[in-house]
Amino acid sequence: MATTSKQYKAIGEDLWKSRTDKINSELFALTYGALVVQLIQDYEDYAEVNKQLEKMGYNIGTRLIEDFLARSSLGRCSDFREVGEVVAKVGFKSFLNITPTVAHSGPPPPSRPTSTAQQSGVPGSSFILTLDENPLAEFVELPDEALEGGLWFSNVLCGVLRGALEMVQMQVQVEFLSDVLRGDESTEIRVTLLKYLEEEVPVGDD
Amino acid sequence: MQAAPASALSVLADPPARMVDSAVMDYLLIEVVNALRVSSAVASARAKKIECDMVEAGLVLPPAPAPPAKQHNPRDSASNTSSKVSGSGDEDEGVRSRLEAIGMHVGGNFAERLCRDRPLFSDSLDVIKFVCKDLWVSCWDKQVDNLRTNHRGVYVLQDNAFKPIARISSWEGRQEALKQAKLYVVLPAGIIRGALSRIGFHGTVVPEITTLPQCTFQIKLPKNT
Repeated sequence: MATTSKQYKAIGEDLWKSRTDKINSELFALTYGALVVQLIQDYEDYAEVNKQLEKMGYNIGTRLIEDFLARSSLGRCSDFREVGEVVAKVGFKSFLNITPTVAHSGPPPPSRPTSTAQQSGVPGSSFILTLDENPLAEFVELPDEALEGGLWFSNVLCGVLRGALEMVQMQVQVEFLSDVLRGDESTEIRVTLLKYLEEEVPVGDD
Repeated sequence: MQAAPASALSVLADPPARMVDSAVMDYLLIEVVNALRVSSAVASARAKKIECDMVEAGLVLPPAPAPPAKQHNPRDSASNTSSKVSGSGDEDEGVRSRLEAIGMHVGGNFAERLCRDRPLFSDSLDVIKFVCKDLWVSCWDKQVDNLRTNHRGVYVLQDNAFKPIARISSWEGRQEALKQAKLYVVLPAGIIRGALSRIGFHGTVVPEITTLPQCTFQIKLPKNT
């Protein structure tokens, strides 16, 4: 039986409340902000900083997913739409105490007139997370050169999502579409499913 | 009844602290250290290249070789102390100074937030007590276990179970875990130093770990502030 959106929200709330170990989000925001500044000073190249933030996020994500699965005891998601729901309502809630809204879309329609493919679960499906509040960006204002240089301040989030989903056998592409720090209307992240990964047996396991 | 509007306003003026899960912070700090190691190597390589270019262009004299056996550091391999050869000591130096800088930024700003409703500090002991109680609780969920001072500007704060290093372990054994902990503790030392500095007391903070998870911080404040 499919879990409804409301049920996921409740699960997310419960997980958040059951966590005893929490820290002030300002500390988190200040630490992350200082890190980004330091990376900019070291690399002097905004594209490279974006890449490094994503890489950091990837490493964090590969660990975070274990933590998440251990806490939440949720089973495998039946399709990509469900992945989006779980990420937004349970994942973000239990770690960052925010609930981005999620908008799903299926793969782009095929060029030949075949029967329309199932909407989710097919490579090409995607969902867009819209963050109303971003704990990373709490005291942040970007200077003009960062805006011109194309810095995505919270790019670590993209890496986290990519790393976490890869550990559960989904290869995804995650990118920012817009960011209020850049003057856009909202902060949006799009997650696109590229393909499902085969479970790999470690070498020499038989 | 005045209760409703008054409390709504007070919530607006003083919103409850937003929280995030502390595991997130732990994972972030692990990656921060790794990322800074790479970025500091990139930065020092770039600085070295600029130096080389300037030497070739004849703008700057080539760096003089360091006097032999100036500082015997068993970890460095045949290093020239003036040029930034990356030995394990140098790499860590870059990471350390960056971690401290991040800590100072966090500590200074966070202390400003914490001190908002406080009256002015009366003397340095008062500031240290603020650090031991309010700052420690806000950052690490407990107070300092032991405070010692020589009443001449040196304070030693001891925490028997310092949160940032409480869960450090290494599959390479206790020595390796201790070595890692010594690196991770630089950021909290920076937080303390930054907080003190923002309050107006510019001193130094030296962390020391002998056995995990106990940690001491030696704070030296200038006299008569």
